[in-house]
Amino acid sequence: MEIVELKEGAVNTFKLQGRLDSNTSQSFEKRLMDAISDGAKNVIIDFKELDYISSAGLRVILKATKTIKRQDGKIMLCSMQDYVKEVFEIAGFDSFLPIVPTPEDAFKAF
Amino acid sequence: MNTSGPISFELRNHLSELATLCEKMEAVGQTLGLPRRCLFEVNLALDELFTNIISYGFQDQSEHFIRVRVSAAPDMLTVVLEDDGVAFNPVERIPPDLPCTLDECKVGGLGIHLVKNLMDEVTYERRAGTNVLTLKKTIERS
Repeated sequence: MEIVELKEGAVNTFKLQGRLDSNTSQSFEKRLMDAISDGAKNVIIDFKELDYISSAGLRVILKATKTIKRQDGKIMLCSMQDYVKEVFEIAGFDSFLPIVPTPEDAFKAF
Repeated sequence: MNTSGPISFELRNHLSELATLCEKMEAVGQTLGLPRRCLFEVNLALDELFTNIISYGFQDQSEHFIRVRVSAAPDMLTVVLEDDGVAFNPVERIPPDLPCTLDECKVGGLGIHLVKNLMDEVTYERRAGTNVLTLKKTIERS
């Protein structure tokens, strides 16, 4: 999996590419949690190029969401392919995670 | 529409074999002409079950093989997963309470919850020291 990390103003964006599974979730967890412990409060995770997610990937996003909430921050998820979004819905994560169509929509939420 | 005899392969009990699983299933998808979404869902179910087996199934340090057998009727895909790990019936697992709030949300059991929801049928048998899981998935061709 490729992770591109961008910082624009007060917003950290993680663009994910490839597969987020048990093999790749640890490196993503480290990048994301490092940014949050460095004080990132507005985080966008862009799923446009992500082809695959398993429960190991969901686990990372859940952990990061809980941590960032404690420092009054927020994670926005955007640009998901239909079948990736379906995984979030089956897991019930769409009830507490904001999933929006585009990065622009995500930016507006901060 | 392609139909063919069963396709079998084996995976070692190592997390790096997830990549092999994905490659093999891509090839199966091509051979059987499976729609992308169907392939994604079957891949995810197998990933979750395989990850569970290698994380909890083996108590010794030796190498084990997990066998995957895929067969297809025109509108039904059947995948059988066999391992010689400790007896474990994922079908009996109590599903997590969903939907949940962020604070209540636990990730335990989520993988199996995904499997049950993505597949049409999941059955378990313990047969001569082997866990045999049979997954059935309707192939929806557009």
